[in-house]
Amino acid sequence: MSGLPPIRSITGPQPDTGRLAPLPRISMPGPRPFAPRISAFTRPFWQALTEGRFISARCAQCERISFPPRNLCRGCWSQELAWVDLAPQGTLYSFTRVHVAPGAFRSDTPYAIGIIDLQHGPRLMCRLVGEIETRHLDQSMQMLVLDYDDGPLFGARLAATAAV
Amino acid sequence: MRRAAILGIGAVPVGAYQRAQPGAEILEHELATTVVLQAMAEAGLTREHIDGVVVAHPGDHTRQGYFHTFLTSHLGIRAQSTVIQVLGNGMTGGHAFDVALQQVTSGQADCVLSVGVHFETGVPTAQHLDYSIRLTGDVDFQSVFGAVPIAWYAMDAQRYLHEHRLPRGTLASIAVKNRLHASANPLAQFRTPITIEEVLGARPIVEPLGLLEVPGRADGAVALVIVSEDLARESGQPYTLIRGRGFEHEGRHQIDDQPGDALAYAPLRGASRRALQEAGLALSDIGSFQVYAPCTIVEALGTEALGLFERGAGARAAAEGLTRYDGPTPVNTCGGCLSRGHPPEVTPLYDIVEAVLQVHGRAQGRQVQRRGLAMSICELGKYNAALVHVLEGCS
Repeated sequence: MSGLPPIRSITGPQPDTGRLAPLPRISMPGPRPFAPRISAFTRPFWQALTEGRFISARCAQCERISFPPRNLCRGCWSQELAWVDLAPQGTLYSFTRVHVAPGAFRSDTPYAIGIIDLQHGPRLMCRLVGEIETRHLDQSMQMLVLDYDDGPLFGARLAATAAV
Repeated sequence: MRRAAILGIGAVPVGAYQRAQPGAEILEHELATTVVLQAMAEAGLTREHIDGVVVAHPGDHTRQGYFHTFLTSHLGIRAQSTVIQVLGNGMTGGHAFDVALQQVTSGQADCVLSVGVHFETGVPTAQHLDYSIRLTGDVDFQSVFGAVPIAWYAMDAQRYLHEHRLPRGTLASIAVKNRLHASANPLAQFRTPITIEEVLGARPIVEPLGLLEVPGRADGAVALVIVSEDLARESGQPYTLIRGRGFEHEGRHQIDDQPGDALAYAPLRGASRRALQEAGLALSDIGSFQVYAPCTIVEALGTEALGLFERGAGARAAAEGLTRYDGPTPVNTCGGCLSRGHPPEVTPLYDIVEAVLQVHGRAQGRQVQRRGLAMSICELGKYNAALVHVLEGCS
C-alpha cells in the first residue's frame, strides 16, 4: 500500500504511486439520482475516485480497513488512521436486480446492485453494470468509476467483460 | 424481578384503511380507539387501571405528530408511569411491547397499554420508497445506488440458493405455506390460497424475489393490555405470561465491511438462547414460532438461526410441510408478513397477538397441537438485531 500520511493530517490523497492502474471509467447519463454528501473527512475518498483511485481508511493500530471510510476504527476505536489504495478487484458475493425503485431511480429500472468482496477486503455494496446473472456469483469483478454529470460514484462489472 | 402478562388483545384485520373510498376514511386515532376498547374489554379493566401508554412510532405517513400524547389525551388517560413513543425499524412494535413489559416488571406500573397504528396505503409506492431510501444502509455510500429495504434480503436469497444449490421453488414454498395459514386467519390481508407456480410466475420485484415473496403494502392497528402477574391472577381470567426475553445486536448496519458469512443471522440465535434461558425452557418445548420475515428467504434463514433446522434446510422444511400449523414445527401460523400482512411498525404486535391466540387455543383453523408455549421474534435491518419473547398461556 502507498504509505499515505494519517487521515487527520491530509486534505486529499497523495499522487498515485503508479503501482495500481487507474480504475476503468464508464460514462453514466445525467446527474447522480441520489448524490452522496461529502464531508471534510470523506472528501479525499471522492477526490481520489474522481482521479480513478479507490481508497479507504486503514487503522494504524489493528490494520483493519473500513468501508465506507470511517473516522473511527470499528475494530479497536483507534483514530490513528491512514488512507490506503484498495485492490480494485474482488469477487461477487451476491446481487439483486431492482425492478420497483424509489422515484429518483425509476428511470434506471431494472438495475443491479451487488456485494463485492475486494481481494484483500473490505466488503462493499455498489451498482453493477453490464451482464450479471446468478451464475456469476463468486466470479471476479472489476471496480469502476461511474462518471455522472455532477460527479462520480463507484461501481463494478465482471472482470471478464471487455474494456469499454 | 416480578413478571408481566398480557390480559387483553385488540386488533383490526390488516388492510388498506388509509386508502379508503371517499366518505369511508378513518383516522389513526379512530382506528386506535377500536383496538384499545377491544383489548380493555377483554382484560375486563377500566381506564383508571392504566398507569402508562407505550406507542409504536407510527412512521412518516400518519399526519398526527406526537401521536403518543395525542392518543393518551384522546383516550382521557391520566398516566403515572410513562407515556412514550418508541421507534426501532421493523422492531418498533416489538419495542412497544417490550417497553410496556419493562414498566410492569420494574414495578413502575401495574397496567400499561401497548398500542400501534401503521398507515401507508394512502401514499404511492414510489413516494413510500423515496422515504425508505434514507432507511436503507449508509445514506452516502449505499443508498446512492438505489438499494431498497428488501434488496438486502433479495441478496441473501440469491446467495442462499447459490450456496445450497436450491431451485427458487423451494423458497417459494414458504409463501404458499404462509398463504395457507392466512386463509384461516380473519386478521390476514391476503387469504386466497396460492400455488408454487403462481409464486414463481409473479412479476420480479427484487430478483430473485417476485411479488408474492415480498410484503404487500398495508395498514394495521393493535393494542395489548400488559399487567403484573398478580393482577392477571386476580382477574380470574386466562392470561399470557411472558416467560423469557432476549435481545442482541451484532454492531452492524445491514452488511459488515469484512467478508464473511452474511446468512447466519447470529443475533437471532443469541437472543433466542437468552429468552429460553430466562424462561428455563429448551427450544423443543416451544409449540409455535412467529418469525418476523418480510420475505420468504428471511423465514428460511430465521428458522435456521433459531436452530430449528440445519443450515440450508429452512426452505425445504416449508416445502416438506414441517412448518405448517399441523406439522412438527409450526412457523408463522398467522400467515406471516407475506400473507397476514406487514404494516411494519405494528407487525411485531400482530405476531404477539397470534402467539396469544395460539397459546390459548383460540387460533381456529390454524391452531397448533402443542399450544402452551410460543415464541415471537422481531428484528431490525437484515437481522442485525433480534428481540425475542417466550409466551405461556395460563388459565
